[in-house]
Amino acid sequence: MQDSAALWSPLAPSSARPWTPALASHLLRRAGFGVSWGELQQAVAEGPAKTVSRLLQPPSRYEAFEERLAPLARGGPEAWLYRILETPWPLLEKMTLFWHNHFGVAASRSTAELAGSFISLLRRHALGRFDQLLAAVCRHPALYVSLGARACRKSAPETGLASALLGLYTVGPGVFGESDVRETARAFTGAYVLRDEFRWLDYEHDAGEKTILGRKGNFDIDGAVRVLLEHPSTARFIVRKVYRWLVSEMDEPAGELLEPLAAGFARDYDIARLVGTVLRSNHFFSEAAYKRRVKSPVEYAAAIAAALEISPPAAPLHQRLAGLGQNLFDPPTREGWAGGRSWLNQFTLVARANLAASMLAQARPEAVAEKHGSKDVRSFFARLLIQSETPAPILDILVSTEFQLA
Amino acid sequence: MPISRRAFLGFPAALLARPAASGNVLVAVQLAGGNDGLNAVVPFDDDHYARPRPTLRLSAAQVRKIAPSTGLHSEMPGFERLFKEGRLAIVQAVGYPKMHRDHGAAMRSWQTANPAPSGEETGWLGRAADQAWNPAEGNVPAAFVGTIGQPLTLRARRTVVPSLRDPKDWTLTAEVSGPSPAWAAARRVSTVLHRGTASPYPSCSLAQSLRNVAQFIRADLGVSVYLVEHGGPPPGGYDNHANQAGHHAVLLRELSESVAAFCSDLASDGWLDRVVLMTYSEFGRTVSENGRRGTNHGAAAPVFVAGGRVKGGLHGAPPDLSKLEGDAPVALIDFRSLYATVLEKWLGLPAEPVLGQRFELLDLLA
Repeated sequence: MQDSAALWSPLAPSSARPWTPALASHLLRRAGFGVSWGELQQAVAEGPAKTVSRLLQPPSRYEAFEERLAPLARGGPEAWLYRILETPWPLLEKMTLFWHNHFGVAASRSTAELAGSFISLLRRHALGRFDQLLAAVCRHPALYVSLGARACRKSAPETGLASALLGLYTVGPGVFGESDVRETARAFTGAYVLRDEFRWLDYEHDAGEKTILGRKGNFDIDGAVRVLLEHPSTARFIVRKVYRWLVSEMDEPAGELLEPLAAGFARDYDIARLVGTVLRSNHFFSEAAYKRRVKSPVEYAAAIAAALEISPPAAPLHQRLAGLGQNLFDPPTREGWAGGRSWLNQFTLVARANLAASMLAQARPEAVAEKHGSKDVRSFFARLLIQSETPAPILDILVSTEFQLA
Repeated sequence: MPISRRAFLGFPAALLARPAASGNVLVAVQLAGGNDGLNAVVPFDDDHYARPRPTLRLSAAQVRKIAPSTGLHSEMPGFERLFKEGRLAIVQAVGYPKMHRDHGAAMRSWQTANPAPSGEETGWLGRAADQAWNPAEGNVPAAFVGTIGQPLTLRARRTVVPSLRDPKDWTLTAEVSGPSPAWAAARRVSTVLHRGTASPYPSCSLAQSLRNVAQFIRADLGVSVYLVEHGGPPPGGYDNHANQAGHHAVLLRELSESVAAFCSDLASDGWLDRVVLMTYSEFGRTVSENGRRGTNHGAAAPVFVAGGRVKGGLHGAPPDLSKLEGDAPVALIDFRSLYATVLEKWLGLPAEPVLGQRFELLDLLA
């Protein structure tokens, strides 16, 4: 195995490893949701380093976009889908969806309002710092409501909440025991949700000494969160999930491979730096990552919309994507969506084909090809959608196995 | 790269493999609102039944007698016929200890198979689907057929469970090329729809759902669990706190005649031997009627199980109406015994991982 530090060093294109449209498209798919011809050409021209730096920053027109969407700030899943389809800063939404999947807070286990407000919180921190994100999450009512912990009483600490915090959100499974769960739950006593707002009731807080993961102290929420953040398993656990999100769902990476990333992440929990390191890396542009994910339903629809340059109405599209298994705002469990092969079954493949056909019927593919200087629509979309030089009917490409992969 | 890609999706080989189809099928019917078991399976000569129900009680003359002291509601001729044919089993007094009396917690209990206030997020049939799901095959172990939101019963961790409003939802709307078992399955649905249904069905939404299920079953899609619903979204049509008699009669007729039509339809070409249909409702009703000619939330109630290979007849003891809890019958058979029975003996799935513990199996299936 190669030295893992070298695998995470930035790709430097050379004649042996040229920067190709296939790699540019790979980067844009993982850092966003769909790829238009213009975006692909820009990334091909800029090269990987410049493209990644650009993707990490809000583009100049992002502010205007945010202003335009302000009326939708309290919107539901349809509004989020609209944002995903139209945003000039797709990486922010991609990472917001990552955290939505990570925390698994669902409208069906809380309320649509709480879930919406939670997702706004995730977006504010999506490319910020994980320590700040976690602290904010631990003061958001949606977390408590969705875990059935509206009242963390001194006499009845919420072990379900503590167990999710440890096993799903920070150190991950296998690191802690029953007593860590109980002690963490004690640290959270005093946390209440009253009228859908987070409240701290000091008289319900158990201020006694606790032992969490071998550390002793009179921990409250912030104290417990600090212990979890300082435990080396937390950075490893998050990095492993980011790997699955951005690099590959198909292989479980070795611990040594992730160690340099985890060590860097643990220093200051800077999410944007972690994401940037991954997206620039030799490993990311290797076979270990290429087409090693399945497009989620949202990615599938967004990819078609971007390539065909259409803006499908978000509300009906949201319904169809829910039918394909991705109901935004409502992951099936607190563990999020299973992803990978679970997206594809004999029903969802048919539903994807029907969705692709209906989106294609709304589009004017010949006009799109011609606008970009191509008279051969079958060649143009084969190059754009799957970077193939073999012309093919667009629908055949959209339903192919190849195009189901991200 | 192409090689590893193929290996991942198992394409074309694995997605081309027909799922291990032609297995048994379970059709679960959710009855929302709390079905009054005592006026469906009526202990007509029990004073403990008749006395507290001055207006709602059904007399011997008003029921369809199926046992010396038990009768079906008069609006259930279809169930009477199925019962006499030996295709309907009635499991009496089903529930669990200290049954929940509010719709939310009670329905959740039946949907998740867990009455304890737990953080259970998945449904019992969703967990069964996860067990039956084979990623290499891309099979679809379970589906919801209906027009309301998908009930929690089917919520799964890994499996995408389709919600089918219309059988056309599983057909292709455009011509796609290339061989794929997914396309082949969708074309079988089209063929079945084109052929149509010869058997008559009553006109109600439950009948429509069951007709659709029969068509999906004929298309041989490898789906082993279908869920349909009667009574609509919560709290549900079976919740009759006032003027129950008329409303309940309509619902029972729809249920009985739709299920009977479904069984006749499937029996006509031999499919019924592979199908078991089972109802569930969050609770029965109180024995006493309230002051508004209705009944309130109760506890244990009968469950109907129909199919070509069920052991027809009454199963379990009738509820003991001299020993009530909160004015409602006490459960004599745990609902999870029923679940375990259909999981293990019908679907061939180990019940313990789905239900979290072992439950006694019932002698319900031939």
